[in-house]
Amino acid sequence: MEDVKAYIESGILELYVLGDISTNEKLEVEAMASQHLAVKAELAEIERSMEMYADVHSIEPAEDLRDRVLKSLATNLSNDTTLREESTVHEAKVVQIVRQKNSDFFKYAFAACLALLVLSVAALFTVYNTLQNTQGQLVAIQQQSMRFSNRVNLLDHQLNLFRDPSVQLVQLGPGPAAPKSGLAVAWSPSKKEVMIDLSRASNMPVNDKEHSYQLWALVGGKPVDLGVFDVRENSTAMIEMKSIAKADAFAVTLEPRGGLPSPTMANLMVVGKTEAE
Amino acid sequence: MSRKTKISLTEEELVSALRNKEKIAAEALYDMYSSSLYGVIVRIVIDTAIAEDVLQESFVKIWQSFGSYSAEKGRLFTWMVNIARNLSIDKIRSKDFKNHSKNQELENNVTFIDEQRNTVYKPELLGLRELVAKLKPEQKSILDLVYFKGFTHVEASDELGVPLGTIKTRLRMAIQQLRKSFN
Repeated sequence: MEDVKAYIESGILELYVLGDISTNEKLEVEAMASQHLAVKAELAEIERSMEMYADVHSIEPAEDLRDRVLKSLATNLSNDTTLREESTVHEAKVVQIVRQKNSDFFKYAFAACLALLVLSVAALFTVYNTLQNTQGQLVAIQQQSMRFSNRVNLLDHQLNLFRDPSVQLVQLGPGPAAPKSGLAVAWSPSKKEVMIDLSRASNMPVNDKEHSYQLWALVGGKPVDLGVFDVRENSTAMIEMKSIAKADAFAVTLEPRGGLPSPTMANLMVVGKTEAE
Repeated sequence: MSRKTKISLTEEELVSALRNKEKIAAEALYDMYSSSLYGVIVRIVIDTAIAEDVLQESFVKIWQSFGSYSAEKGRLFTWMVNIARNLSIDKIRSKDFKNHSKNQELENNVTFIDEQRNTVYKPELLGLRELVAKLKPEQKSILDLVYFKGFTHVEASDELGVPLGTIKTRLRMAIQQLRKSFN
């Protein structure tokens, strides 16, 4: 009995369970186990512990492995021994090669995808920037083109006015309040249009914010209000005034901002007679 | 873990089904033992793809050579895990593996794997993990060297610079400690 105890404590049973033992020792352990219940019980305990230890450290293999393994076992589900040997060896090889290819393929495919993604993002970024720039330029160009077309419309309108034979250009000479000033008024009696041509103004002082110029038509000796206008520096605009069909003369006075119902004669800036009809 | 039901048989049922090479035996074998065998294999070979191959080879070998298993000589798992360990060790000592492993970086020990992978969640094992963690470091390191790194106790003695007798004693102490914990 002492021998058995020493045998158990030598640690050889543990090595047996771990498979770390020579063939002779293995046979010896198996012989001891069959003779002594204590050895057999001890072995069972060690085995159970190591199984638990493995259980504690278990790791779930990948999902798809189950099918792979079961398939390779299924090829020899039958009891045909000769067929079994051959087919399994063959199968194992095939699976291994496929596996190798697969893992390489996915590695490269993944790297390629990643590279492609980075490139795409960079390209997208560049294209986005270009698009932003282009859109900005497009808006600027549209605004410019709108300005031009407005200007062309205006000039067209003015040109038509000058081409119109019914239009007469009335030169207004200096009045008492502005001895050196001059202004031109384009007037079409038939179309009842009155325009002030600021490009032909001379020495018209720039009016301040509290005052504005007011155009009058003298009809049968009475003044008729034709509206107010401002003179700015370097202004060359044509200003359309209120319409009138009959006028003996035109005059401009300086009035409080917004104009008055009747002219302040002391502030008469320029005045000019129309051509007799 | 997404398969809802895993097939589980008693060891006796499984052994007799395996002898008859029944289809259900293959499925039960895989469901009952794949994760614990894989846990051992992956700790020895480290590389997942290789570990999967070794697991497959192990099951094929278990399936084919089942005739040589005898319930008299010990538990089914002991027999199977030794097949898996031997195949794993053969693999890491093969020329192929040595070439391959040059391309492998960093990962090289058991604890690394424990941190890296989600080990299987089994409620009944929760307390056991803590108990295993209570093993003395020198006991755990010798146990893991032999069990998970594929060392023989002679190689472990060289590796740790500890006499052979001490190695055997520590190994026995470690397993005794486990027995105490598991009972």
